[in-house]
Amino acid sequence: MTRASVVGTGMTTFGVHESSLPELFARAALSAYDDAGVDPADIDAFYFGNAMGGQTENDTHLAPTLATEVGLAGVPAQRFEDACATSANAFKNAVQAVEAGIHDTILVGGVERCTPETGKGTGEMTRIFASASHRQYEQPTGLTFPGVFALLTKRHMHEYGTTEEQLAHVAVKNHGNGTHNPRAHFGSETTVEEVLDSPIVADPFHLMDCCPFSDGAAAVVVTSDDSAASFDGPVDVTGVGHATDLVPLGLKPTLHATQAARDAATQAYEQAGVTADEIDFAEVHDCFTGAEVLASEAIGFFEDGQGGPAAEAGRTALDGDRPINPSGGLKAKGHPIGATGVAQIVELTEQLRGEAGDRQLDDPQRGLAHNLGGDAGTTVISIMEART
Amino acid sequence: MSANMDETVSVGYEAWADALRSDRILGVSCSDCGATYGTPISVCHDCGSRNLESVDLPTEGTLYSVTRVEVPPTGFEGPYHVGIVQVGAARVTARIETDADDAPPEIDDSVVFSGVMETDDGLPAPVFTTETS
Repeated sequence: MTRASVVGTGMTTFGVHESSLPELFARAALSAYDDAGVDPADIDAFYFGNAMGGQTENDTHLAPTLATEVGLAGVPAQRFEDACATSANAFKNAVQAVEAGIHDTILVGGVERCTPETGKGTGEMTRIFASASHRQYEQPTGLTFPGVFALLTKRHMHEYGTTEEQLAHVAVKNHGNGTHNPRAHFGSETTVEEVLDSPIVADPFHLMDCCPFSDGAAAVVVTSDDSAASFDGPVDVTGVGHATDLVPLGLKPTLHATQAARDAATQAYEQAGVTADEIDFAEVHDCFTGAEVLASEAIGFFEDGQGGPAAEAGRTALDGDRPINPSGGLKAKGHPIGATGVAQIVELTEQLRGEAGDRQLDDPQRGLAHNLGGDAGTTVISIMEART
Repeated sequence: MSANMDETVSVGYEAWADALRSDRILGVSCSDCGATYGTPISVCHDCGSRNLESVDLPTEGTLYSVTRVEVPPTGFEGPYHVGIVQVGAARVTARIETDADDAPPEIDDSVVFSGVMETDDGLPAPVFTTETS
């Protein structure tokens, strides 16, 4: 059943941007207006995600500031924060609001700046990212976010024999996909050897297993099922699952299960009335190569322990039987934290409209987005379908 | 009064930090269902009870997972190892150290609680050391 529809998309290139957060966001928002064929007067509310603007740029209370920038001053505007799942949560709430009849048409978006353009280098940005781990029971050990996902992935390697080479294949595939995405942060191919020869960040992750620090913004226009028919190219949202897991890591019963993703996927599949086998492709939260392997199992694309071999065998490639991250994923497209969840929705929409250019999959009918926050403490899973 | 405020405080973060500085690792155990957690929480995740009591966790355990952090945050000097240690029925996140001649720590290695480190802003963390065989 259709819960809501996406009728317009816009995003900036992901990479390095000098623009302020409001002006960067405006580029994505105005593109989304144009794609939907709407004016600000057609928008009833603004649901917005930014994770770390207070820490990175001393910039908070951004919802009305950004609303003013894009002509929406006066409408209800709210900011969401759920670490890297920030704007997927904004999207979920927008879907619920139009479904419930609270608003008819909503601008949903996210923006973040994480590169040295913020004035902060690797050490300081690593510290800010680590604020999403437990303040009392994890941060004092010096745990970083590459470290968090390294701990998850090391356990997965121990349980199933997943190898560093299999992880490297995820990076190679996503870099290859990124070369077909003009908005990707990285537009170059890489090789398994290059990944394995790059310096260690937190073992087993080499630098080339990690997504970059990126600046960028993404926005979509969400409207009710009833109103969608009056727009060109609506793409339907049929399920949005959202679950949390225990924090800190030491409280999670099975570290590598990423249980919130499994719970959110179950909800989303039930709402959409489909199984994992009926999903044609997925955008998953590959902040690190190991995270994509864990996600590919959590959403049911592969049996537990088979995510690594599947990546190595090419099953998740554009021409594979289970394509994952045709956009290039966080790994190659980039990861401006608060923009990432909505950027996944942009990719789902473009693929399901058949407008994805050189990375277009073969007539996909149904796609899934997996946006994970923090130490896998939050996951939002969205399912979208082409309107027939 | 339904809750004993002193008792609530006795299983909280301050008690955990104080105990750590006295070479003890405090977890909490649920008086109603028996679930044990490696770090204090106010409500039992398994049964919803507020009757959580502090318990001393074992000071010897095994590595459930471990990584070598080579790119540290501001305020830390790398590289160093961070791990999740299985201590009895619970797990705690800790700095993992080895003797200079030892191989890097690996999953399933035996480790023993060996002290406490403290950040520049005064937050303590447990340190475990791999046992030489």
